[in-house]
Amino acid sequence: LSLDLDMHLPAIGAGDPESFALWMAGAEPPLRRALRRFAADLDTEAVLQETLLRVWQVARRVEPDGRPNALLRFAHRVARNLALSMLRAAREIPDGDAGADLADEPRAPDPLLRRALAACRERLPRRPAQALDARLDASGAEPDAALARRLGMTTNTFLQNFTRARKLLADCLRARGVELP
Amino acid sequence: MKTTRAEREALIAAATSAHRARDADGRVLPHPAWLDLDADGRRAAFDATELARALEAAADARGLSATGRAVLARIAL
Repeated sequence: LSLDLDMHLPAIGAGDPESFALWMAGAEPPLRRALRRFAADLDTEAVLQETLLRVWQVARRVEPDGRPNALLRFAHRVARNLALSMLRAAREIPDGDAGADLADEPRAPDPLLRRALAACRERLPRRPAQALDARLDASGAEPDAALARRLGMTTNTFLQNFTRARKLLADCLRARGVELP
Repeated sequence: MKTTRAEREALIAAATSAHRARDADGRVLPHPAWLDLDADGRRAAFDATELARALEAAADARGLSATGRAVLARIAL
C-alpha cells in the first residue's frame, strides 16, 4: 500500500519531533533508494542524515500542493542537491546526470516482518545477537569501538559478529518468505 | 594497498553503522571505513546498509531505523 506521508505535515510544521519520526519511518527507504546511484562516490548514510536534518529545519515552510507526499518530494530535491553539491566539491560529477529522481513512493510497513524478525532474532547465537542488539540500541549515537568495548570484544570481533548476525537473520527471514532489499 | 576479504567485510560492516562524526560546523562526515573502501566495496556497503536499516525499522515500534533515531537524537539536542 502506498502512503501519503503529508498526513504528518501539519504537526511537523508545528515543530513536533514525534510526527517527524513517523514521517521519517516512511520517507527513509525511498530517499535511500534514490541515493543508490551515488553509492560509489558518496557516503549516502551521511548524505541521508544531513538531508533529514535539513528537511526538519525547513519543513514548516513546505506547503501541500494538492498531490501526495509534498514533503517527501521536497526531501528528494534536498538529497539530490546535497549529493551533487558534495560531488562538485570533490569534482566527481557523474557524466550525463540529468537529475532524474525516482518517483518511489513510501509503503505501509509489513506487519508480518516484525513477527518474523523476532522469531529469527531468537535463533541467533549469543555473541552475534549481542553485537546486533548493541547496534540496535545505540541508534547511531556511539561508534562501534565503544559498543565493542562494552561487550568485551575487539572492534574487529564485534564487526565479525555483527556481519554474522545480519547474514543469519537475512537467511532466516528469506526462508520464511520475507522479501528483503 | 590491497585488503583481504576479511578486512573488506569488516570495513563494509563498519560502514553500515549509523554513527557519523561531525565537523566543527555540525555537518555529518563520511564514515572512515567507507573512505577506505573501493567503488565495489562502497556499493556493497550501500546494499548492506539498506538491509540493516530495513531490519532495524522492522524491530522498532515506530518503524524507525538507526538513521531515523540518529537524526531524531540530533534534533533533540
